[in-house]
Amino acid sequence: MKTAHEIRPGNVIMLDGSPWVVQKTETTRSGRNAAIVKLKLKNLLLNSGTETTFKGEDKLEDIVLDRLDCTYSYFADPMFVFMDAEYNQYDVEAENLGDAAAYIVDGMEETCQVTFYDGKAISVEMPTTIVREVIYTEPSARGDTSGKVMKPATITGGGTVSVADFVKVGDKIEIDTRTGEFKKRV
Amino acid sequence: MIKTPCSNHWDIFCTVVDNYGDIGVTWRLAKQLAHEYQIPVNLWVDDLNSFSHILPSLDPLLASQSFNGVNILHWRTPLVIEFVAGEVLIEAFACELPATVKNQLLHLQQLDPKLVPIWLNLEYLSAEDWVEGCHGLPSLQADRLKKFFYFPGFTAKTGGLICEQNLFTERDAWQADPSNKLQLFNTLGLTGIESQDTVVSIFSYETEALSALCELWQQSEQKIHALIPKGRSLNSLIHLLPCDIDNLVAGQQINHGNLTLHILPMTDQQGFDRLLWSCDVNIVRGEDSFLRAQWAAKPFIWHIYPQEDDYHLVKLEAFIQLYCDNLPPEIAQTWTKLNLAFNQGLQSAVKTHWQNLNPVDLPLLQHAKQWPIDAINAADLATRLVQFVKKS
Repeated sequence: MKTAHEIRPGNVIMLDGSPWVVQKTETTRSGRNAAIVKLKLKNLLLNSGTETTFKGEDKLEDIVLDRLDCTYSYFADPMFVFMDAEYNQYDVEAENLGDAAAYIVDGMEETCQVTFYDGKAISVEMPTTIVREVIYTEPSARGDTSGKVMKPATITGGGTVSVADFVKVGDKIEIDTRTGEFKKRV
Repeated sequence: MIKTPCSNHWDIFCTVVDNYGDIGVTWRLAKQLAHEYQIPVNLWVDDLNSFSHILPSLDPLLASQSFNGVNILHWRTPLVIEFVAGEVLIEAFACELPATVKNQLLHLQQLDPKLVPIWLNLEYLSAEDWVEGCHGLPSLQADRLKKFFYFPGFTAKTGGLICEQNLFTERDAWQADPSNKLQLFNTLGLTGIESQDTVVSIFSYETEALSALCELWQQSEQKIHALIPKGRSLNSLIHLLPCDIDNLVAGQQINHGNLTLHILPMTDQQGFDRLLWSCDVNIVRGEDSFLRAQWAAKPFIWHIYPQEDDYHLVKLEAFIQLYCDNLPPEIAQTWTKLNLAFNQGLQSAVKTHWQNLNPVDLPLLQHAKQWPIDAINAADLATRLVQFVKKS
């Protein structure tokens, strides 16, 4: 069992008697510090999608499925193709990657975990942290060095991350793929 | 064992966390559902002592009693009153339902899913954008039960705001006759308040900012009366008090220059509304008094419940952005700074912004009168909730 707060895109959970792959997670804060977790899910039996909400501490049954360490190979719309150490290729639907799709770039070297259900590759879990280059962000507006003032930045692959004000174009930054948060400049 | 009365009723479960906030919201909602929609409501509350401060006729020792058409039940573990599922089950502010209640839901699910009440988690009020995307979503449970997250909010895509149908009419009638406020102050034992004096009600958490404002008010050119109940606000004003907080009595006055502190007696919710309608500025906190201050159509400062990592400031700024949308920019800027300074305990800044704003000035007052009409956004929370249940 995992708490809703611990669920990440790529996990498969059992709800309402069906297995669901988590495509996207969004954690917000309600009153008195309580976390609210919104999940975008896809039913693996019916191929239908839904959105659902949980308290952060709600317990969810995550299913342990077969996983393989793979590296990203190429994109063949609408499939991302991954390859294992023995050069076997696995196609994963782009929509099943959810937010993780924004971190996938040609030539990336990080090892991802491809998850299988009933013999089919259904999702991909990114490493907890990844490093990407900032390809566009506005110059620092206030000269803030504290890291508390944030601004949007576009990273390689086209995703957008909220970064500290001092980050510049060309900087490499560390991102937590579970939350999409900027961790530090590297 | 006493059985709950009927099967088309609604149950609301509430745990008292912060004395009057959670229970304040649920008690208002329960009353409104019973009065305006003739819905039989069971309100389960774990702390009747706190509840009795805003409902003085409540007997904390009774397991079951009825007021304003609402059946109030003492929620203890194990339940001393058998839970019988009705049409709707609300867990207020994500409180954890008793195991016996959940077991009954499961039992009904196995018998016939149509027998399971519509299960809602009534969440806290927030003006943040994400609320629209989460309001009304189901929360699928592993045991095949389903509950919905119901988020109050300020826009048409949220669950709305608690506001009784006749509230604004009653408020306008009250405020149209200036003698009402002076009569109310007399009834509350608050003497020496003249019609031209500035009167500020204070129901905040502890903050250095309050101490700074009192310092400023002492040197004010006109008389300022600060009305404060015994509670957390006074912890920030100990240096102005002649004795321990415990030894203060309702109606007691403490004079410092042109500032008079009045110790307020506790009142019921109607009395609290009238107090807010009667003051020139209200300093409020949390959720219930925050909303009632908006309905009072008077300028206010919101002391938001502090959260980890200063996240409450994100919530405060989200509300400020909405509230200031139609305010003249200069006033909006100063009102924003005043609220931020108060919440951050910035003593010097809060004094500066209070002076710059002059909260009793006409433009802010006019905005405060228009805001409730805009904020209610066509339908109040109870109306939207009843519609939501019909559609679910």
